[in-house]
Amino acid sequence: MKIIKDKVAKLSFVALLVAMATAMFYAPAASAHGEKSQAAFMRMRTIHWFDLNWSKEEVAVNETMTISGKFLVFAGWPETVDKPEVSFLNVGIPGPVFIRAGSWIGGQLVPRSVSLELGEVYEFKVLLKARRPGDWHVHSMMNVQGGGPIIGPGKWVTVTGSMSQFVNPVTTLTGQTINLENYALDNVYFWHAVWFAIAFAWLLFWIKRPLFVPRHIAVSTGKADSLISAGDKKVGMLFGVGTMVIVAASMASTNEKYPVTTPLQAGLLRGMKTYQMPESTVSVKVDDATYRVPGRAMQMTLTVTNNGDSAIRLGEFNTAGVRFLDPAVHEDDTNYPDDLLAEEGLTVSDNSPLAPGETRTIEVTASDAAWEVYRLADLIYDPDSRFAGLLFFWDANGNRQLVTVDAPLIPTFI
Amino acid sequence: MSASQSAVRSRAEAVQVSRTFDWMILFTLFTAVLGGYHIHYMLTGGDWDFWTDWKDRRLWVTVAPIVSITFPAAVQACLWWRYRLPVGATLSVVALMIGEWINRYMNFWGWTYFPVNICFPSNLLPGAIVLDVVLMLGNSMTLTAVIGGLAYGLLFYPGNWPVIAPLHVPVEYNGMMMTLADLQGYHYVRTGTPEYIRMVEKGTLRTFGKDVAPVSAFFSGFVSIIIYFLWHFFGRWFAKTDFIADDAS
Ligand SMILES: [Cu+2]
Repeated sequence: MKIIKDKVAKLSFVALLVAMATAMFYAPAASAHGEKSQAAFMRMRTIHWFDLNWSKEEVAVNETMTISGKFLVFAGWPETVDKPEVSFLNVGIPGPVFIRAGSWIGGQLVPRSVSLELGEVYEFKVLLKARRPGDWHVHSMMNVQGGGPIIGPGKWVTVTGSMSQFVNPVTTLTGQTINLENYALDNVYFWHAVWFAIAFAWLLFWIKRPLFVPRHIAVSTGKADSLISAGDKKVGMLFGVGTMVIVAASMASTNEKYPVTTPLQAGLLRGMKTYQMPESTVSVKVDDATYRVPGRAMQMTLTVTNNGDSAIRLGEFNTAGVRFLDPAVHEDDTNYPDDLLAEEGLTVSDNSPLAPGETRTIEVTASDAAWEVYRLADLIYDPDSRFAGLLFFWDANGNRQLVTVDAPLIPTFI
Repeated sequence: MSASQSAVRSRAEAVQVSRTFDWMILFTLFTAVLGGYHIHYMLTGGDWDFWTDWKDRRLWVTVAPIVSITFPAAVQACLWWRYRLPVGATLSVVALMIGEWINRYMNFWGWTYFPVNICFPSNLLPGAIVLDVVLMLGNSMTLTAVIGGLAYGLLFYPGNWPVIAPLHVPVEYNGMMMTLADLQGYHYVRTGTPEYIRMVEKGTLRTFGKDVAPVSAFFSGFVSIIIYFLWHFFGRWFAKTDFIADDAS
């Protein structure tokens, strides 16, 4: 007996641990967003985010801010990733520290998934309402079915105040204004309490009597029927009928209380409005591209032809949200995140204005610690060692042209 | 165990030991079922149970009863045929729902700050109680599977409707109509659960107009019958004593 008792005690303890571990098992992904651990080619060759703007760096609870900008759905989308036919504009934040009060692509509200076309540029905006105080890294993000989350650049935003002050008023089509933060919560607790009470009553009715040993003896000696009395059956009947009556009655009263309800809404949005970039009159051919591992620099030889009617200069190379600028041509005035901005990271062998009709071969170097910090250098370990990015050219009047590049990359280790 | 020497010296002591034994077994059974059932239900029912904007009238209604009738059937088989205790289903579901409430309250709300009114668990208790009552009154696996299994499927949606109905009130939001549950899913950002993962309102039950929930519930009930049989057999197999020395059985 002693041995069995010990064994059962030990087993109970193990079971308790298992149960607690299970209860802890699942928490919706909260903290690390792992933007740096995503394969470099995913960030370089799928969605290119540019012209990004975070409207605030500090925001109080209940106040709003926006992330806005544009994204280009890269024409050279990698074979290994599903096309963005079903995509969802998301934000990369650690759980609901903000609520998404609105999100738009090309001016259309996108609470649902959308279909995107390769090679097109879209304008987007996400309106966030601050909910939980803290310092949060706020990213733009595109989820692609079959491709996973494609996370855009992130910027630190500070939320001040207290979460207990947060309110989320919504006016329904039946005319009431409710606070969605705790709406119907009492009702949830009430019905769960009612059913737990009934279930505990049923359990208690049985487990208050001697259980396993005597009942097992009775069953194994053929006296099983004596274990369920006529009274037990009556009580059972009461619980069975009572359960069905309560379910039916509560359903009827609910329908009376909420006469207007609709099913959940779902469905894919197609034909999203694209953003028309000015027609590009520059053509760029990548002659070769190398990544110098020790120098943390990418070097490309480009043959650029200006087919337009004003002289242009190369001002920016943008890949995976990292911006390499030539300050002589273009400076950032949007407070772009420091770690993603190489203000003097772009060197061009000859960046004198390229006259209309002229063709020139230039050496372009994009160098910055960001190659390492953002693990873009890991590109050389990717299955398809190519790089891609956006080149921005400016003319003397500040007109900008966008050209995409997509070419093989050769690493050099010395 | 051989009966060479008794561990107790009097009848009163035997009764007391037997009762202690009851509580230990119950506690062990309860926590073990809580753990196993909880993992099972999270892997199979998962998001349908986690979020209000997954609780639709087609798939949630169909999936939740089918995947949750499993442990109740198995525990019933053990407790009824060995001990004539008609509490297997209720005990399992109470264990599961306590585990779920701990998880939702401590992790979803306490750790990641999702409001409880978006991530509360589904109510499986009415079906479980009826399942136990049918087994007790009928003393038959087949009857429990057919009547109880069907009832388990049918009671699910009406048993949850009082809880979720307020969240199905429509709202106009920036020019689109959605339910408050949809809006919860949109407002409270889930980075890892993009909208397209949501499996709601999919299926081919288009000829029933808006009365699709009862049809889904019936279908769920029929499949629950089959799953009940299967897991009842698992339970009986699990409760065998063949592997213990002969005099114990
Ligand atoms: Cu981040």
